[in-house]
Order: sequence, then structure tokens, then C-alpha cells
Amino acid sequence: MKLKNEAALDNLIICHRCFTLHKEVPMRDGLEACCLECGSVLYRHNTKLLDKGLALSITGLIFFVLANFFPLVKIEILGHEQLITIPKTIFSLMQSGFYIVGLLCMFLIFIFPLMTFTINTILFSLLKLKHANLWTKELLVLLAHIKPWSMTDIFLISILVSLVKLIGHAQIHMGVAFYSLVVFVLIDLYIVKRVHLLEIWILRKQILSEEYSK
Amino acid sequence: MIKIDKKKLIPCPICSAVNINKGKENTCYRCGSAIYHHKKFSTEKSWAFLITAIIAYIPANIYPMLITNTFGTHVGSTILEGVVLLWEHGSYPIAIVIFFASIMIPIIKFLILLYLLISVKYPIGKDKKINKHKLYYITEAIGPWSMIDVFVVAILAALIHLSNVSIVAGMAARAFAISVFFTLLAAHAFDKTLINEYK
Repeated sequence: MKLKNEAALDNLIICHRCFTLHKEVPMRDGLEACCLECGSVLYRHNTKLLDKGLALSITGLIFFVLANFFPLVKIEILGHEQLITIPKTIFSLMQSGFYIVGLLCMFLIFIFPLMTFTINTILFSLLKLKHANLWTKELLVLLAHIKPWSMTDIFLISILVSLVKLIGHAQIHMGVAFYSLVVFVLIDLYIVKRVHLLEIWILRKQILSEEYSK
Repeated sequence: MIKIDKKKLIPCPICSAVNINKGKENTCYRCGSAIYHHKKFSTEKSWAFLITAIIAYIPANIYPMLITNTFGTHVGSTILEGVVLLWEHGSYPIAIVIFFASIMIPIIKFLILLYLLISVKYPIGKDKKINKHKLYYITEAIGPWSMIDVFVVAILAALIHLSNVSIVAGMAARAFAISVFFTLLAAHAFDKTLINEYK
């Protein structure tokens, strides 16, 4: 295989699932490039990724704050009312001596989701302001490390599972935070889980090359 | 013009940029993170995490996961007992979800990782019938979902703590959380490029 120089490596892509070598091709807006061998999506061409990413990251942060401050679920059991919030769930684990589990939960459902959205917000706003050289590399590396560890979607399913367990024993009322969490998870799936980091790297490359050509 | 062997191109594990394999230690030209490619210690880290996870999985199944205190009587139930109890009460979907999340997924993950780790070192499984990339992808996709049980225990314990009726997390919650955490680490530590080499 021949290459002009080492910079030409930038136009190559190796499929993340089956390690087949591909070349990046120009595409129409809204199309996906798929791997020939295994059919997984390599990258998507989306010119609105920057604007959508920035807007949805900020929206996600707002809903995350809502999801953490308001009661998640309220139950009535034997005449007593009980309500939980996300921080309360973590602290009650800590109080009963489950420090390791509590710490793990704190990272998986609070710190990492918060970090991914904060990083996304900073990253997209830096790219939007055309400061592609500043911090973006470090932020993308950090994002790649913590992205697989944010588990709000799994936490949402766990809430539903535990509520189904309680049906018949208690009266259940959903709180504001529950609906905020649903919105947050949907945004998380759309803008964090679905977007490959490669797409942001390609976006960064484009903005950098625009800067150089000026 | 430079000539490169196609097999010498490796992706960066962090930013997936294509790099030329230059020998012992590479740094990615795009993100600067190291691309480890030890010849001798390629799978040891993953082995260590996986063995820890398997050891932690044993107490997770023996000790009670949830302890229910009703009017002074303590009833503990292990993961399997919890599933059976749910099944008997007639909530089949939840029983199936819990069964898959906390029994099937960890065991499937252990088996797949064991198979992958052995097959990249020893020549068993050199046949192309089994797509190892797909197997690895499956472990990565289903792995985090076994956290469901830990979260459920956390939520139930936080919700129900009255003077007469209360639910407390048991010893198994700790062991299970540690087990899941270490299987995730083992899957991340596994060097995917090894699969390609032994094709």
C-alpha cells in the first residue's frame, strides 16, 4: 500500500469493530458510511453536528440539574410517605456502610454523566468559536476515557424495575426528576452514545484546516 | 511516496486514528496517547482483572443481595432466590430481566473473555467460523447492563426504610458491584489488535 506522506494517514479509517481498512470519502449531508465487512457505522456526515451538539449539551446539563434536585419517585407505604432523589440514593448507600458500592454508583450515575456533558459543552463551544487548537485534544482524550462509564440509561431502567417490584405493596407517584431523567437519557443517547468520537475528530480536522488556509 | 505494509497500520485505542506500527512503543500522532503493543505482556492485565471479577462473583451468589426486615424478622435473599421469588409472584418480565442482567450476562462475559484471552495466545480457535470481533463487541455492548441489580438494590434500600419495614443491601451487593466493575475493566484492557494478528 502506498501513501504520499504521513499526513495522508488522516484520511484512513479502521473499522472499530472488525479492523478493516477504509478510506474516508466525501458524502452528502445526513448519510452514514458503513463498513463493507461487518456493516457497522464508521462515521456520519452531519454538517449540523456542531450546532446540534452545543444546543443539546446545554439542554442536557439543565435537565441533569433538574433530575438531581427534585424528587425522583414518591411512594406511600403503610401510611408513610417516602421520596428519593439521585443524591439521596447514593448517600443512603454510604450511610449503611456500603462505601465502595456508593462510590461506584456516584461515579457511574452522577460524576461521569455530568463530566461528559460539561466536556461536550466546552468542546463544542470551543469548536464553534474556531479555537480548535485550544484544549480540544485533551478534552477529546478525556471524553474517550469516561464515555463508556456513564450509565444513566441503565439507572433509568433500574428505577423502572424497582418500581415494578413495589407495585401492589405501595402507591407510587413519579416526580419531576423522573421525567427530567427520561429527557436527559434521550439526549444522552442521541448526542453522546450515537455520535462516534471519530466524527468530532473529523470536525476538528476541518476547522483546523480552515484556520490554516486563511 | 512511502510504502507501508497494510498489516502495520493500527488504530489508536483512544481516538481511533490510523497509526503506523513502529515497534515497541508508539504514541498516537493525533491525540498523543500511548499505543501499547507488548509482545510478552499483551494479555496479562486483562487476565488479572478477569480473575478478580470471577473470584468476586462467587460471594455475590452465596451471600444475600437484599435483606428485608418486616416487623423484626430478617429475610435475606440471594440473586437466584430473588429471581425465583419474582417468578413465583408472577412478575415474569422483571424476573427475566434480573435473571439476564445478573446471572446470564456476567457468565456470558466471563466465557467470551476467557475464550478470547486463550485464543489470542494459543492456536485453538484459529478457524474463521467464529467471528471474534463480533464476540468482543457483544461483551462491550451487554457488559454495563449487569449493573441493573446493584442500582435496583440501591433504589429499594433508599426508598424503604420505615421503622417496621425496611430493605437493606446485603453483602452480595458489594461483591457483585466489584465483579461487574472488574469485568468492565477486563474488557477495556483487552487489546483488540491481537485478534487481528492471529487471524
